Amino acid sequence: MTCSAVDPRELTRARRRVFLALFIAIAVSLHILETLLPSPVPWLRLGLANVMTLAALYLYGGRAAWTVSLARVGLGALLLGRLFSPGFWLAAAGAVVATAAMIIMYRVVGRRLSPIGISAIGAAGHALGQILAARLLVIQHEAIWQIFPLFLFFTVFSGILTGWLAAGLLTQLGQHPAFQATVHADTTR
Amino acid sequence: MTWNRPLLIGLLVALLALSWWRLQPDDETIHRSQLLMGTVVEIMAAGMPSGKLETAVDAAFAEIARLDKLLSRYQLDSDVSHLSQSDNGRQVTAETAEVLALGLDVALRSGGAFDLTLGRLNALWTIDGETPSIPHHDAIAAALIGTGPTALTLDSRQVTKQTTQLQIDLGGIAKGYAVDRAIAVLKQQGVTSAAINAGGDMYLLGQRPERPWRIGIQHPRQKGAVLETVQVSDQAVVTSGDYERFFEQDGIRYHHIFDPQSGQPARGCQSVTIITDSVALGDALATAVFVLGPKAGLQLLGQYPRAEGLIVAADGTLHTSPGWERYRAAP
Amino acid sequence: MKTPWQIMTVGDWLVVLLLLAASLTGLAWVATAPQGTRVVVTSGEQVLFTAPVDSPHSLSFDGPLGPTRLVIDDQGVRITDSPCSRKTCISMGPARHSGDLLACVPNRILVRIDSPADPKAPYDLLSR
Repeated sequence: MTCSAVDPRELTRARRRVFLALFIAIAVSLHILETLLPSPVPWLRLGLANVMTLAALYLYGGRAAWTVSLARVGLGALLLGRLFSPGFWLAAAGAVVATAAMIIMYRVVGRRLSPIGISAIGAAGHALGQILAARLLVIQHEAIWQIFPLFLFFTVFSGILTGWLAAGLLTQLGQHPAFQATVHADTTR
Repeated sequence: MTWNRPLLIGLLVALLALSWWRLQPDDETIHRSQLLMGTVVEIMAAGMPSGKLETAVDAAFAEIARLDKLLSRYQLDSDVSHLSQSDNGRQVTAETAEVLALGLDVALRSGGAFDLTLGRLNALWTIDGETPSIPHHDAIAAALIGTGPTALTLDSRQVTKQTTQLQIDLGGIAKGYAVDRAIAVLKQQGVTSAAINAGGDMYLLGQRPERPWRIGIQHPRQKGAVLETVQVSDQAVVTSGDYERFFEQDGIRYHHIFDPQSGQPARGCQSVTIITDSVALGDALATAVFVLGPKAGLQLLGQYPRAEGLIVAADGTLHTSPGWERYRAAP
Repeated sequence: MKTPWQIMTVGDWLVVLLLLAASLTGLAWVATAPQGTRVVVTSGEQVLFTAPVDSPHSLSFDGPLGPTRLVIDDQGVRITDSPCSRKTCISMGPARHSGDLLACVPNRILVRIDSPADPKAPYDLLSR
């Protein structure tokens, strides 16, 4: 589906913007949906929105991943009325560490890992970021670290789940012409 | 990408910093107790690595044990015992002289309410003994002969006894002195936050890591209840009460704080708490005020601007010196 | 859609196993961290016995005068018998809270409840 009058690079960039916006929208929706679901521990979620961050990472690179994850956290908090609440900072810290970790792993060993591995790292990073923020902002006590190992244990599994979903999504998207010609605009591998 | 490398380095540095911070030796608080001077001596110390705290606390306990040997009337070889056995007095060690000087000063200023020379009287009453009983009137009178604030004179380290039979009993003031010296030992070892409690003779050095020391004052009649809580730093807190060592006969309580005039337990107060700079002084004042009763006791405290007191009178009413308020903590 | 294990590479498995191992190590470390309130019985400088405060025990410690009997149960820690004359130690009642002390001074047995100094306790020491 090409338009002959348009410079292919411009087209790519336009597509990128549009699809990232779409990814963000889906990520925010998933995030809000998860928040509505019951959970034994209030802030222990599956992190389904991370699927979109992963997709952005694989399709459009590191910058895109940052865009999707940070926008998701910000818009999600805004829509839920939790902007700048303690919970927001926890989520933000989690997202920052997770995204950074995923990007680094992708760059360094991306060839040897599938989205599942990258996602597991992301989930672990998310847990770490949240605990760090909790330690600094909420509970000024070393005791908070005692729940980290258990937390980490469960996030590994949710990471595998979201990675699997992301892999499936990427496979599906990869079959569509709109994504086949994708060039990572800011990665020079 | 170029901007991801600095991110990587940044993250590595952050991780390193985190690990380094985690591996710093922890400042701890330790809490040790030993049976010394016939009572339980507790020492709490904080603010340094626990190895150094242990060394300091051990040194403090050792100092207390050393002074116990010197000043206890129960130890036959102590300086005090030798003094009591002597005919007219003798030369004593520097520490004994220091304690005597302080005690004699309070004895004089309190008009004899505090008295270091009640060794015979204390032995007579045997409150701690197996079968405590009320001594005979004559025996009490005999035990009081020659006692009083002028029964001893001190000239640098030479002590003179006016009567040969005079028995010196430093009692609580010796414990207080031992605590003061133990605190000095801790300070010397670099400790800046500590608490020493020797059966109610207490000194609080500095503050706890996150707030001043909070001391509860035992309610004289309700076991397990606290009268008040005070917040102190670099002060001694001493309580004298009629509820710790006593026996009852015919509904009357006979406790261990005697009125030097009558030879009987003092009846003016249930308990007295003194906050001041040194435990030895606090001890002497607590005893003196207890004997004097609320009114005269507060007058005596007036002579010591750096001492404050809380008195529970015999009828249960509370009296405080003017400056006591500033130590009161919110419950 | 393929199953996760069909997609996972060797590298993935490595990552997952590493993370799980780290979390389990952390769990073990947390579980074995020294904590909790303990009863400590000493005579002079020597520690005779120590146990968590919620483990029932009934034992006896020998001092210069003879055996002092100690019971730890759900009421707390208390001395039930001692060869001293005044038996003050028995009347001291059950000790439960950090910092509580029981002592048979004549028999030189000291029992204390030990735990890290609690900043939230109403007071640090009792003056009496």
